Amino acid sequence: MLRWSRHEHGESVDLDDLAACADDAGQRWSRELFDFATSSTGHDGAVLDRTRAALVARAGEAAMVDAAAVIANFEMMTRLADGTGARIPQDRVDASAGIVRAFGMADVPSRR
Amino acid sequence: MTPSARPFVRLDLADAHDRAWAELGQSGACFSGRQRVELAGTVVAALADPEPPPPWLGPSQLGRLPERCAAPEAAHDVIHRTACHAGTITESWYREKVDLVGELAWVELVAIACTVAAVQSFRRAVGLDPWQLPVGCDDPPTHEVAHPLAVAAMNWVPVAAPADVTASVVQAFTALPAEQDRTWRLAAAQYMSNEEMDDPRFTRGTLTRPEMELLAMRVAQRRDCFF
Repeated sequence: MLRWSRHEHGESVDLDDLAACADDAGQRWSRELFDFATSSTGHDGAVLDRTRAALVARAGEAAMVDAAAVIANFEMMTRLADGTGARIPQDRVDASAGIVRAFGMADVPSRR
Repeated sequence: MTPSARPFVRLDLADAHDRAWAELGQSGACFSGRQRVELAGTVVAALADPEPPPPWLGPSQLGRLPERCAAPEAAHDVIHRTACHAGTITESWYREKVDLVGELAWVELVAIACTVAAVQSFRRAVGLDPWQLPVGCDDPPTHEVAHPLAVAAMNWVPVAAPADVTASVVQAFTALPAEQDRTWRLAAAQYMSNEEMDDPRFTRGTLTRPEMELLAMRVAQRRDCFF
């Protein structure tokens, strides 16, 4: 989905850079978004406060709220997928091989 | 975050969360409101635990259940693992636990975990206090189930017939219309509607679609979710 939406925007994406959270993967606030998502899914409140403030400083409060909403959505959807044994059609798995590799997801237990 | 620094939450999102949270206290197809709130409490505790037990140990084995459980112990174990370690759930564990709780109850348990995880995650991420759970009603389960049901090739759980004509995540909760409706109302407010997903340029004026997908992928990676 990420590769597709960026292609439609006429942008390129370096998946390895994204996985490593490079400072500039061609997105406006990729570092701040990545760090906000990471801290939101962790348990360190102080780090979350810092990453939230950094994102607000770069992108504004409304963007931070929308980012939190997307994170919340995928806290929901990941459980929906893994709790119901949702499978992905093989052609989509094949098409996502690069992103799966870049994010180190090839061998996770939830691969069905 | 100080009260004066409370962020503005757009109204459609606030409404979706308000409504979903209130629905936790209403009876579902398989569980009463009281049972649902008790089960949601297990999710809240699981999400707040910085060092959750390993996936194979549920709250029933750890003595972490309420003194007099309204919901079955196996239901607490299922919802706890869904909250903490959903990416580790295997089909064999599903089959084993479904024998104890039932297929449709399993669907409702996963849906409750999804709602609690979404709302709690959002409030924590934006710096708002967590909500207290609503009071659960004592009305009996509604038994509102889609008819007919079908065995799906793309999910473990039963779905509304016909199976496998939509994406597996879209059909996952269709056996229980109330859970399906709530989940996709939340998704439309938090992310985008199913129809909008076809638009790679969808934006609310803040994040671009690629930025939204970056966030989605990072959460999926953190949750070991291959999907």
